[in-house]
Amino acid sequence: MQHRLIQVIGVISTALYVAFIIWIYAAAPRSFKEVATSAEVTVGTYQVDQEKFDAALRLFRQQQYRAARDEWQRADPAQRDARTQFYVAYAFYREGWGRVYNDTELFKQGLAAIDRAIDSAPSGSLTIDDPDLQMHTPAELKTELQQGIEPSLSDFNPLKVFRQRK
Amino acid sequence: MRKEHRSKNEALVQFIALPMIFLTVTLLGGLRVSAEDRGFVFVVPPLITLVLAVLLVVLFVRGRLIEIERWLTSDQPPLTNLSHALTLLSLFFASSQAFNSVLPESGLLFWLFSFFFLWTLWNNLYSFFDATRLVRSLTVLFGTAFVLKHMIIATLYAPEGSWLKKLAGVLLEGLSLGTLSPQVFAPATGYISFFTLALYVGGLILLPSGPKRDPRLELQRIIAAYRGLPQNDRQLMSQVINDDQKLLSAAEPPSPGDLQDH
Repeated sequence: MQHRLIQVIGVISTALYVAFIIWIYAAAPRSFKEVATSAEVTVGTYQVDQEKFDAALRLFRQQQYRAARDEWQRADPAQRDARTQFYVAYAFYREGWGRVYNDTELFKQGLAAIDRAIDSAPSGSLTIDDPDLQMHTPAELKTELQQGIEPSLSDFNPLKVFRQRK
Repeated sequence: MRKEHRSKNEALVQFIALPMIFLTVTLLGGLRVSAEDRGFVFVVPPLITLVLAVLLVVLFVRGRLIEIERWLTSDQPPLTNLSHALTLLSLFFASSQAFNSVLPESGLLFWLFSFFFLWTLWNNLYSFFDATRLVRSLTVLFGTAFVLKHMIIATLYAPEGSWLKKLAGVLLEGLSLGTLSPQVFAPATGYISFFTLALYVGGLILLPSGPKRDPRLELQRIIAAYRGLPQNDRQLMSQVINDDQKLLSAAEPPSPGDLQDH
């Protein structure tokens, strides 16, 4: 009877350990803190740090986009919150936008962030009700970012300098 | 009582400790620590390590370190077979990750080390081995690869090394036309690898060639085999057993009662 119990414990613990190893290699956390965050994401208890998010939003409104992105990174270390990732992409857009030309590198990072926002959005849809923004959905922002890095004939239009940042 | 403790301890080692040891090796074998930000880097085992692990398991079977017919048999309950199968699977993945731990991550060195392992294991397949010699040989094999990767090459390419070491690294890189290019990790990687290999060898030492069978099951198996013999062989077997019994009774000392009668 005792042998049977030991065998059952052995099989269960082995199965759990195998699952843990597969999960850790798939999640590839960089630190023990990330291990904890990834575990929270897996079990569905992950939440964004609201205080840090608000602090980042204040920085964003003061046009301190890099500082805002750093703060959002701390608020959403797993990069799993659609709303935060939308704002991160917006910060990349605003910082990279230029009257004469756009910063392609920043726009590419913005595209990566907006893709994360789309992936993380519940049922794929997300609308941000922020009067300070002119684009409220990931689709609008993604189109803007894509157009910003794609070369076209309109790039040679001198009237382009009069366009407005959104 | 002592026999009961022994049986319980053996079951604990066989069904819990061994899979845990081998799975810990599986977990740590691919773990590196980045030299830049000290972050974890998980390296998935390359395909060649799986090939090497297959060769190693074949070697284990040939060297009688594992007697498959004792680990997995239809005489045992399904739960026992499942437990044994998990232990053997964890041994396979631990072997793969033990190779991953001592193989360079990329470049010419990766292929050189892989070839060195492949050649040694292939040659060993055609050599005479017993379990003890096999474990000794593997310890030397992994030890050599560990010293080469984590001590010699890591020192040559270490960013904080002395100018002489750096010069030797640059010369080596120049001589190999830049094909060596080993990835540099934090020194903690070497410690993790050492612990992983020590755990792996420890697990191999603890690994029984085959689990002990239930004596009642063993008896049933012998009786079934006896009944399956042809008539002549059964008679021969009975004769051998009778002769043995006679020899045993002749060897037994007379009881005190017998002495008194004389």
